[in-house]
Amino acid sequence: MRSYAIRRSLTVIPVLLGVSVLVFGFVHLIPGDPATAMSGEKATPERTEAVKKRLGLDRPIHEQYLLYMSKVLRGDLGISVIRGDPVLPDILRRFPATVELATAAIVIALALGIPIGIVSAVRRRSFVDSLLRIGALTGVSMPIFWLGLMLAWVFGVQLRWLPTGFRLDAGTSFQPITHFVIIDSILERDWAMLGDALRHLILPAVALATIPVAVIARMTRAAMLEVLSRDYIRTAQAKGLPGAAVVLHHALRNALLPVLTVVGLQVGSLLAGAILTETIFSWPGIGRWVYESIGARDYAIVQGASLFIAVVVVAVNLVTDLLYAAVDPRIKYD
Amino acid sequence: MRLARVVLVAATVVLLAAAGPAVAQTFVFGAQGEPISLDTATIQDGISQKITSQIYNTLVKYKGATTEIEADLAEKWDVSADGKVWTLHLHKGVKFHDGEPCDAAAVVWNFERWWKAAHPQHDNQLKAGQTFPYFEDQFDGFDDKSIITKVEAVDPSTVRVTLKQAQAPFLANLAIFAFGIASPKAVEKWGVEYGKHPVGTGPFKFVEWKVNQEVVLEANPDYFGEKAKVKRVVVRNIKDNSARLAALKAGEVHGIEGLNVDDIKVVKADPNLNLVLRPANNTATVSFNYHVKEFQNKLVRQAIAHAINRKAIVDAFYGGLGLVAKELQPPALWGYNKDIKDYEYDPKKAQDLLKQAGFTNGISEITWDDGKKEPLVFWYIPVTRPYYPSPKEIGEAMAADLAKVGINATLQTVEWTNYLDNGKKGLMPLWMAGWTGDNGDPDNFTCWFFCSVNVPRQGYYNNPPLADVLKRAATLPNQGERAKLYQQAEQMLHDDVARLFVANSQVPLVFSKKVKGYVANPTGAEFFNRVEIQ
Repeated sequence: MRSYAIRRSLTVIPVLLGVSVLVFGFVHLIPGDPATAMSGEKATPERTEAVKKRLGLDRPIHEQYLLYMSKVLRGDLGISVIRGDPVLPDILRRFPATVELATAAIVIALALGIPIGIVSAVRRRSFVDSLLRIGALTGVSMPIFWLGLMLAWVFGVQLRWLPTGFRLDAGTSFQPITHFVIIDSILERDWAMLGDALRHLILPAVALATIPVAVIARMTRAAMLEVLSRDYIRTAQAKGLPGAAVVLHHALRNALLPVLTVVGLQVGSLLAGAILTETIFSWPGIGRWVYESIGARDYAIVQGASLFIAVVVVAVNLVTDLLYAAVDPRIKYD
Repeated sequence: MRLARVVLVAATVVLLAAAGPAVAQTFVFGAQGEPISLDTATIQDGISQKITSQIYNTLVKYKGATTEIEADLAEKWDVSADGKVWTLHLHKGVKFHDGEPCDAAAVVWNFERWWKAAHPQHDNQLKAGQTFPYFEDQFDGFDDKSIITKVEAVDPSTVRVTLKQAQAPFLANLAIFAFGIASPKAVEKWGVEYGKHPVGTGPFKFVEWKVNQEVVLEANPDYFGEKAKVKRVVVRNIKDNSARLAALKAGEVHGIEGLNVDDIKVVKADPNLNLVLRPANNTATVSFNYHVKEFQNKLVRQAIAHAINRKAIVDAFYGGLGLVAKELQPPALWGYNKDIKDYEYDPKKAQDLLKQAGFTNGISEITWDDGKKEPLVFWYIPVTRPYYPSPKEIGEAMAADLAKVGINATLQTVEWTNYLDNGKKGLMPLWMAGWTGDNGDPDNFTCWFFCSVNVPRQGYYNNPPLADVLKRAATLPNQGERAKLYQQAEQMLHDDVARLFVANSQVPLVFSKKVKGYVANPTGAEFFNRVEIQ
């Protein structure tokens, strides 16, 4: 196990190197240059040129890349072209908001997706199974942008049950400790703020959870069907064990491995920036920030944030791989 | 059982949580994005301006919903007979939010920070990537390039500014938000980080900036002018137009700027909302490249003017907020020429003009001055602007109108910064452009385009007599005389069909019916101290 963990961890290095080249290359392929975006519509060509020189954009691309990577290895992800702020502290300030949202979405997805998958598998080919599968397909097909707006409209505007955006009400004073509002309000024992934070979290988390719910439900159903057809399940049933015990204790545990893989991938993609959800709900996370930075041609933020997200996704997948042995003792790492 | 108890407690906390809309003493405004900086001298964007206009005062300001100038930090002023020396008499006893006096020395310090490259703060900020674009544009550059030659404190409440030559829009320029007076002590203390810790003299003081979320201000009880009627202001960053409107309808914000054109009728139909229109201070144009032989022929340009049904375009795409433009300046400007007779929509006349010009088969191909031929491409802007709310659709409508008279153009666009670059380099034969005014002065509209002749960014339009009229108008002290020159300039532009003027558009702001007192200004200089929430 130890040697596997080391080998698996080392594969991260070429992956991240490849990602850095791709990210740097793609960012520079975005049409338009940040010097023009920064200097504005009314800027003279001379002013734009001066900005270009200051940003080092007049250098050959390979020089720009090497200079950039030498800074990255020292923990410097650059300075925002538009605002002049260092990128890494800004990432660390914004990332907890995305983690909070993604965690809530995954909790909802697991809480709904696994039971739906189990029921669907146990009642295979029944009306309930068809209904749940249609529901899952609908969830995966609905554009998040539209769903988010509909949720905000119905629950925020029409019913006024929940807020339409942000993490807290306007003007709420909040001294961040961890930048996780839920955790910070518990640490501060500010129950009013905790309630406010949870209310603001519900709609974006539900919107973001629709696709993972569907994916997890479908994967759970497929895995459960495969496991439920095994001989040992038939043996357990023949021994007279209650149905719930057979399903939950004997079948589900073995069906979880592929589900775990899917959950790991889903967490990675959620952390990669729930761009649309964050934009619709004005959620101050990393996805929305990167989206706005792309529009503003802020290379430093797009590069730095993309690299950071890549590191996180790679780390999550590494943890997922290493967790397999915990879930299934039959797996041996050579 | 235990799990059920935890869930029940959590649900109770959620339901009983102290939540709900902010109290009426807080005015919450939904902005279209995140401010860049709150150092007003270094910004160009309207979102930052919205906030800095509440924190700073300028020396003079725009009056109400007009572009007339009235007193602000300067309570009165004199100008020498030759227009070169301005003496500004400041209100006495005004203090910055940090308690420092806002006197002549502070004003001189501010000017020098904007103007002199060697000023320590100017230099530091430049090295940090911060520039002073409005000073550069309105006062012709820095140091010796600038039209300003001297700024001095005559006494603690009098500032004298000496210019190289008379600049008629001098006061109109000083009223621009970028010339808000900042506390020298605060700027020196925070240096390049000052933009996150702004200190002015305005009706609101800065409290905090929650990045990517909101900026919070509180009323300044010692404000020398009209004191705020609300205790706090929160400007929230809501990027998406639909999400912003949803927040307003849900009562989470009291006012917003930025609306989808399709939502205008939704707002008008909602009895709880009030649509406020910022008077049009912009013009949409179609520009000709005068290195294209076909466009050098005035008959062709006239044909294009008659071919496009601008009224139908304004009716279809501007949500009821547009006006057909017949000249460069919008009607709100005092240099506007109301006597100009517009080119009426007349496809038959357009075809006759093309025939007179020798294009009996219409135009599908253009010829550049170097002899190169290529199909006619009509470039439309890839971003929305108040003057072009639906640029692609408007471009399609124009191209269709042109095709009816035999001018066959292919529509094309490119990413926005590339579009700007192409425009500055004079690479497009026929393209959409536009302008939003900065200071309500006709010079700001006209001189940018036509004071320079034969420049790439204006399609190499070459009209020296027009440039002379405009340069003279920029120096005269008397507004009445200036107005006549600008009207003459508009007639010259019209007669020569220098450009096609398409539309002016009012800018929509929406407020809850509970909000009273908001005054929309053509320049966007709008102040929350007048707002009250009932």
